[in-house]
Amino acid sequence: MLRLEGIDAGYDGTQILWDIALEAKRGQMTVIIGPNGAGKSSILKVVTGLLPPTGGRVFFDDEDITEVPAYERPDLGIAACPEGRRLFPQLTAEANLRLGAYTLRARRHADDRLAQVYALFPGIRPRATTKALRLSGGEQQMVAIGRALMASPEILVLDEPSLGLAPKVVTEIFETVHRLRLEGLSVLMVEQNAYQALRIADYGYVVQGGRVLRSGPPGELMDLEELRKAYFAIS
Amino acid sequence: MADASVIVAQVIFGLIRGILLGCVFALIALGLNLVWGIAKVVNIAHGELVMLGAYGAYFLNLFLGFNPLLTAPIDAALGLAAGLGFYFAILHRELRGKEAITLQSEMVTLVATFGLSLAISNLANIAFTGNFVGIPFDAGSIEIGFLQIPLAGIYVAVLSVVIISLTHVLLNRTYLGNAIRAYSQDIPAAKLMGINPTAVAAIGTGLAFAVTMAGGAFLTTLFPTGINPYMGALYAPISYVIVVLGGPGRMWGSLVGGLTLGIVIDVGQIFLGVEIAYAVAFLLLIPVLLLRPEGILR
Repeated sequence: MLRLEGIDAGYDGTQILWDIALEAKRGQMTVIIGPNGAGKSSILKVVTGLLPPTGGRVFFDDEDITEVPAYERPDLGIAACPEGRRLFPQLTAEANLRLGAYTLRARRHADDRLAQVYALFPGIRPRATTKALRLSGGEQQMVAIGRALMASPEILVLDEPSLGLAPKVVTEIFETVHRLRLEGLSVLMVEQNAYQALRIADYGYVVQGGRVLRSGPPGELMDLEELRKAYFAIS
Repeated sequence: MADASVIVAQVIFGLIRGILLGCVFALIALGLNLVWGIAKVVNIAHGELVMLGAYGAYFLNLFLGFNPLLTAPIDAALGLAAGLGFYFAILHRELRGKEAITLQSEMVTLVATFGLSLAISNLANIAFTGNFVGIPFDAGSIEIGFLQIPLAGIYVAVLSVVIISLTHVLLNRTYLGNAIRAYSQDIPAAKLMGINPTAVAAIGTGLAFAVTMAGGAFLTTLFPTGINPYMGALYAPISYVIVVLGGPGRMWGSLVGGLTLGIVIDVGQIFLGVEIAYAVAFLLLIPVLLLRPEGILR
């Protein structure tokens, strides 16, 4: 459903991504793993349109969306939960959630979606009127994922949902993402926490130095001894 | 004894006038607060918008006989158009594609608006002459005991508070308003929500200019003979003081700041004379900046 072909991209003339080819299939959970600074988040920025590629094409349902600006992509069904969550700090949790349904497409179902998000993350309902900057890290992550879900997306793009969270909260978040995938949502997720990410993935990409090093079903990737040592730091 | 009661009456009258004036000041400052808060533009030409709003009221009165209350919506429409034009002609070149508005961008737009300010006031001097003009507008007055309060002043004060409230509702209760606030807090994240950054920044600037020019029309009822090409030089600093007093980005703060300044100026001039009263109002800024840089609220 989402496909990158030969993507080159960078910031201010410094190239970060080299010839990235990647596909996220409908109804599947695709994960991108790799060490810090490998370019994982930059790949997602190309997907969401925040980083225009210098070469290559981006396809969504076989349509070339390379030139579609970031703010028009939620309307296509691509919703993102960005790196570092990026909630609007001065807005309440609920105002953040409602902004997720900003597109006219999503706005009609905003009330229903809000109820669903609260059902999915019961912990944030009592925090509805709290400013985002006063939420805990875990609550912020839940609001950020909920905000992306408010867009009624076809594909959910998640950037490091485990970043800076306590292990128990990480497990909870991964379980929720897994449940969304089981309910039929397509997910493209970047994670540094490779082991936990691969456990719930259908397909994985290993990225290093701005290139795709390897890809395959999670079982294959977890078996690669050298990858384990190099990137996963599993003892 | 007689002296004391005269002073008490003067103070009460000054207080009431200060409150009325403060509400209009607050509306004018809201315009600055919006453009500062949304587009991070320190608009030096803010005072010139007040001046243009006042002249709008003057000419519509002169040629069509409109009173300033009737002019305000027309001024607001002109302000909206001017704000959109200003955004696309000047700000957009600097802010386009930026992920965050840097100090350098703020400096660029500050200098640009400084130039605009000089250009507008001098062009106005050529077009309108440097004479002070005014609008004869008497809506009657009400008497409370020994006090006579002009109704026009009450109308503009109430309308100012209504417009501030509506702006508050717009910003807090509508998708457009939340999009504007989202843009001011995190531009890339706003894009991920489907918010077109150019559209909301332009609309925000237009809204800011609209309320400022409407405020300029209202002001003419409180200063019946104060319209001149360089009046902006007074109302720009007044607006800065109000925004800082109330806290940048806080819309209700503008009202608190406006009332504070209005009361200080009108009650102050009873004891200190006009010039010193204004000086005191501006001096308020120093302790506030030192003790409460976030504004007097909270």
